[in-house]
Amino acid sequence: MKNTLTAMVFALSATAGFAGDKVVIEFAYPYSHLFDVTYEKIMPMFNAKYPDIEVKMRATYESYEDASNTILREAVAGELPDVTMQGLNRQSVLVEKGIAKSLEPFITKEADFAKDGYHPAMLSLSTFGEDVYGLPFSISLPVGYYNMDLMAKAGIDSTDKLPKTWDEVIAACGALKEAGVDVPMFWGWNITGNWFLQALMWSQDKPTVMGTDFTLDEAEGLVALNTMNDLFSGCEMPNYDLKTAMSSFSAGEIPMYFWSTSAVGTVERSKADFNFVTNEYPGLTADGPMGLPAGGNAAMLVSQSDDPAVLDAAWKWLKFITSGEGAAEVARTTGYMPPNQAANEIILKAFYAENPNKATAVRQLPLLRDWQAYPGDNGLAATQVIYDGIEGIVTGEYGDMQELQEDLSEEVQDLLPSGS
Amino acid sequence: MRSYAHMWFIGPALFLMVVILLLPIGVAGALSFTDYSLGNAGADFVGLKNYVQIFTRSTYEKMFGATFRYVFVVVPLTVGLGLGAALLINSLGRFGDFYKTIYFLPVMAALIAMAIVWEFALHPTIGFVNTTLERGCGTWLEAWGWYAHGCAEGFPLWLTDRAYAIWTVAFIGVWQGFGFNMVLYLAGLTSIPRELYHAAELDGAKTGWQRFRLVTWPMLGPTTVFVVTISLIRSFQVFDMVEAFYPQGGGPSKSVYVMMFAIYEKGIQQNLMGIGAAITVVFLGFVMVLTLIQRRLVERRTHYV
Repeated sequence: MKNTLTAMVFALSATAGFAGDKVVIEFAYPYSHLFDVTYEKIMPMFNAKYPDIEVKMRATYESYEDASNTILREAVAGELPDVTMQGLNRQSVLVEKGIAKSLEPFITKEADFAKDGYHPAMLSLSTFGEDVYGLPFSISLPVGYYNMDLMAKAGIDSTDKLPKTWDEVIAACGALKEAGVDVPMFWGWNITGNWFLQALMWSQDKPTVMGTDFTLDEAEGLVALNTMNDLFSGCEMPNYDLKTAMSSFSAGEIPMYFWSTSAVGTVERSKADFNFVTNEYPGLTADGPMGLPAGGNAAMLVSQSDDPAVLDAAWKWLKFITSGEGAAEVARTTGYMPPNQAANEIILKAFYAENPNKATAVRQLPLLRDWQAYPGDNGLAATQVIYDGIEGIVTGEYGDMQELQEDLSEEVQDLLPSGS
Repeated sequence: MRSYAHMWFIGPALFLMVVILLLPIGVAGALSFTDYSLGNAGADFVGLKNYVQIFTRSTYEKMFGATFRYVFVVVPLTVGLGLGAALLINSLGRFGDFYKTIYFLPVMAALIAMAIVWEFALHPTIGFVNTTLERGCGTWLEAWGWYAHGCAEGFPLWLTDRAYAIWTVAFIGVWQGFGFNMVLYLAGLTSIPRELYHAAELDGAKTGWQRFRLVTWPMLGPTTVFVVTISLIRSFQVFDMVEAFYPQGGGPSKSVYVMMFAIYEKGIQQNLMGIGAAITVVFLGFVMVLTLIQRRLVERRTHYV
């Protein structure tokens, strides 16, 4: 008995001593099915460069909403990790509640920060007030996915004949229906954070939220709702959930599928035998969209530690995964783009030439705009109200778009903090 | 001298009841009058605002609609089918155990895992339900208008069409739940003394229906009280299936937005503890009222032996 105890004491002191040599930081990220492969590639490279830092992975978050919630709960319980990955539209909550730490003190110490490929347009996605609070890690944009074998039935047999406007999409739907395709199109209205509504708003260069004002009640809002209504009814789009829609496209049953570029990797791995092509996201006019919301996530520092060694290690990890080879792995393993100019233009040049389906989003990069959050405590509830409204268009519950526009704007505006 | 020994006997149970049951309910009750949101330092007292919202907003109207549709379909069907299956199995000699196992299997399986299986089965184009239905096209089945429509336009999206969703979910609830009631009724049936049947037969109860009406059903009274109460509470509690099918939003046009899911969505997913707590209080009130009503109605006519 006594011997066992002594052994245990020795074992404990040994691990304590071991941990003392290495700085341990804790880290958590969402969507394990997309990103596990990415971190598996990054980790050995990081360990080789910084052998004295140990990155401990926490259980992954199921989604961006879950990521946001988990951090809020952990903040109440005092159990925050050091670095967390948050959806681009969920960063402001953590900044508002004082959970995320400003990265400015670290950035000022870096000599070649701009040269490392962090350029202002991308950093602006994580800038609140004057300070940078996050480093974007993976960026996505909406693109069109096409099954060219099925598109040929509507006489569209080459990439340059693919629809450029939503009206052309509806026309193609009609032709495909006549050719016997039951479900000609699926449009990803149900992507998290009302992303596709914001895409239609940005297409008209209109932000969905300005300060605390929800802009759906303006002319652009009605255009967005009418476009959705025309698309859903013109294409007789069924109310598929996320999984059903993706599995049906991958099975080769849907010719046109509008979605985030993030799933290109997954579709390429799982699709049936058909000619799969991505192309630019259609716009309201022939010139294409005037802007598109950036999807994806950013690394934020939420450490509660006062130890400079831990903070420094956390910064090194943040920087490593968002620049250079670390960032390049994002594109190689998923459909996302690394938000890093150096990684995109130098390291990955050859990669995009070989993977044209993943390059569509890169061509759209000049259109990159904010994925907007709904401010205040009711942000997630507002997202849900809009989600329910759009679903009502899909199921045919709402036919009068003007009425829906009034109802939605009123209900959402109620949930936002009053303009102060 | 008075003895305080009884305090020591009931003390531990009382203590635990207060700590893990009454106290949390009290906290929820208190939170329901505030606008507390997770992560905030404090909260403001908002009076009855949360309750007013629950009884005026259309979202919550849908919540009550979905909950009551589910409860009033699932409770009668699980009780009825449970009793029916129990009577049939009880009348069987040799294969009773075999059927018992079959009917009880869905109860043993985790509902969340079964939900995934159903999701595959009900997939609109490649699920086996719709592919099986498609095989019937072109046969005499097309004489049925609904079927002919399905053949021409495609069979329904069982889980995501708002005309079907709640009924599909209720069907799965019945499939999953009636085996449990069957087992309870089987236990009830074994405790009915044989002599009663013999006596009834002597008194002229010749048909099976008469025996059931005069002996079996009254003797099953206590079991029925228990079965109905349990089924009611279980169907009010339905959550895991809705979460698995519709992680966001509670079904097409919120048609499957049952109360438990609403509590989870507001309190856990959206961090709005105030409104979440208010729905919880309403939920507890409903369950209590329903339990009281049905106890009164049923217990008055129950013979305990």
